[in-house]
Amino acid sequence: MASHNVPRPAIIEVKTEQSRLREQNQIDEYRALVDLIDVKITEHQYTLQVLELTSKLLSKNPEYYTVWNARRRLLTCGLFPKLSASSSPLTASQSTSQIGTTTTSSADVSSSITNSSTESKEILDNFDSQTHRKNGTTLELIKSDLGFIFPLMIQYPKCYWIWNYRLWLLKEGNARLETHIARDLWMHELALVGKMLVRDSRNFHGWGYRRNVVAELESPKLNGFSMAEAEFEYTTKMIKANLSNFSAWHRRSKLIPKLLNERKADDATRHDFLNSEFELITEAIYTDAYPYAQSVWFYYQFLMSTLIEPTGSSAINPNCTLQDRIVYLSKQLISLKDMLDGAEDCKWIYDALLEYTLVLCRMREREATPEERQDCLLWLSELRKLDPLRNGRWGDFRLAGSG
Amino acid sequence: MSLVSGPGVAGNTSSLPNEIQLAISAHVSYIQSLDTRRDELEYWLTEHLRMNGLYWGLTSLHLLGRPDALPRHETIAFVLSCQKDSGGFGAASGHDAHLLSTVSAVQILVMVDAIDELDSKGKGSEGGKGGVELVGNYIAALQDRMTGTFRGDEFGEEDTRFIYAGFNALSLLHLLHLVDVPLAVLFIESCANFDGGYGVAPGAESHSGQIFTCLAALTIAGRIDMVNKDKLGRWLSERQVEAGGLNGRPEKLEDVCYSWWVAASLTMIGKLHWIDGDKLAKFILSCQDTENGGIADRAGDMVDVFHTVFGLAGLSLLGWEGLEPVDPVYCMPKKITERVLGTRV
Repeated sequence: MASHNVPRPAIIEVKTEQSRLREQNQIDEYRALVDLIDVKITEHQYTLQVLELTSKLLSKNPEYYTVWNARRRLLTCGLFPKLSASSSPLTASQSTSQIGTTTTSSADVSSSITNSSTESKEILDNFDSQTHRKNGTTLELIKSDLGFIFPLMIQYPKCYWIWNYRLWLLKEGNARLETHIARDLWMHELALVGKMLVRDSRNFHGWGYRRNVVAELESPKLNGFSMAEAEFEYTTKMIKANLSNFSAWHRRSKLIPKLLNERKADDATRHDFLNSEFELITEAIYTDAYPYAQSVWFYYQFLMSTLIEPTGSSAINPNCTLQDRIVYLSKQLISLKDMLDGAEDCKWIYDALLEYTLVLCRMREREATPEERQDCLLWLSELRKLDPLRNGRWGDFRLAGSG
Repeated sequence: MSLVSGPGVAGNTSSLPNEIQLAISAHVSYIQSLDTRRDELEYWLTEHLRMNGLYWGLTSLHLLGRPDALPRHETIAFVLSCQKDSGGFGAASGHDAHLLSTVSAVQILVMVDAIDELDSKGKGSEGGKGGVELVGNYIAALQDRMTGTFRGDEFGEEDTRFIYAGFNALSLLHLLHLVDVPLAVLFIESCANFDGGYGVAPGAESHSGQIFTCLAALTIAGRIDMVNKDKLGRWLSERQVEAGGLNGRPEKLEDVCYSWWVAASLTMIGKLHWIDGDKLAKFILSCQDTENGGIADRAGDMVDVFHTVFGLAGLSLLGWEGLEPVDPVYCMPKKITERVLGTRV
């Protein structure tokens, strides 16, 4: 959006007359291209030559959203074969496979097909030849466009407009190509975004794009099915590559409830699942390089929150009794105290001990005991010492009964 | 009207005196100079941000106590020249309408007290009125009435930022009734995460910028009660790093613009004191170019007007002396939002 992470030059160069002229030439060339595209689009010249002009401009400036829009119009109003009710390839594929997908243009055609079987055969034959031709042109255009965008995504991974345009283009493919062809394109995107996330494992746009691609691949319109298992595996892989990848931990937190429902997991399985997640996170916390990193501690908080508020959208084990939850939480408190050994300067452990000790008192519907209060005051003083940036937060901490 | 980035350079922390000051007059001159740089390629490459840039620059000047430092008449003329027949505004003349430039246009016109001129001279005005209503209708038509969310433009990109942009502009125009507020609030709720934060869409990771837009939208809707303030306050307060600056997500680098997204969010939930304000102020000041004006993302980097306004707004939230108080919901001077909306609790 603005200049991020652009270091200052060692010496601020004073422009020579020559460099001033060079810059002026660049400006003139750039503005002439902008004006030319504007004229062509205003005249509705939706041709490959104009598409090329927009490619040239967008390569210089991928933030120029109006030109991405011009490109959309070039495709939908000119270069793509017309999407009409009588010739839509999607409609053709629907009428042959009858998967139950719907589009706005399909209803009238489907009904005309079912009117008479001989008539429908003729129409279908006609569709087949048209489908081939139109898939061909549309697919070529979409593939070539995807190819044009890819290097821009690598060069400008934080540019919203590029990601949006790519999604838009693929969604156009859904409406214009046969289902299996559209699906192949999305499968290709899944591999591609995987590569992007290897390059930058925290890219916000990359993770968002992956969510969108997976949602498309899962959708009935592309004959999809749930990918929760595979995506869950993917988060495991990403976490193992880098324990500080909070994006992957987050995604995992969202996949778990879905995964367990799809597995039709019973209470015992859910209990085991929670155990294995706690083992995973405890191991991550103990791993030398990450004792004080916050990503793992936020995931720890997520797991604890599923015990404290067992129902709700992120439930792991919703039927767990209050008594069982109290037992589980108490064990975690013991485990946290063990963690302090050798990590007495880790504020996250004190933070967790303080919070969950008080939560446990609430779950037991009783006040903190004098010993617990003593512990809490000690942990609070450690927090003040270790983490003075957040002194205001520690100052707001009120132990029950202490006013 | 204003250039978005460069050319100044932020200071190097090691060479700064202990008592750093806010370089008010340098910042004012920097912003005034932005529209005079048409001989730089960068000026043309950032044209798609011109309307946002003008909003950032004008807000900076208001916060610096120099609201008249840009010519009012030219400001209004520029904004109106970017309006399309649909009622929406583009980033510059010849650019397509988009919700992001439309909200900036409305905010600018409110700041220069020219909503009357929009009504009488904007698109769709007849007999001296109707311009405001057309803008309202343009924004309202971007709401998806099935999900409550807003698209950025006719091509359908959806993002929690756009709910905020829609609510922001419509409330300033007193036209919030044109949209389904409760449905949009439900959508925001569906974007909440276990850490108390919000993402760009349901399932998306919490992000400080997105949290700001969700909290501000909920505040405008009168539904800040839906936020888990303790959980979110904890997550937000952990954005502060040792250097004093704030980051946008766990284990990312600090950046001056989060001085606004995080600090304004903390303010909206009453927990600004959960971070160290003095250290944050020092971090922001260390990112100034004290000589040529402007603020950068981090010390030693190129300055730009985006980081300038969010650095100044962050300092204003912290009560920095000499700056106008900023409204944490609108990122505009409080005096102005109070004039338009009355005093809010």
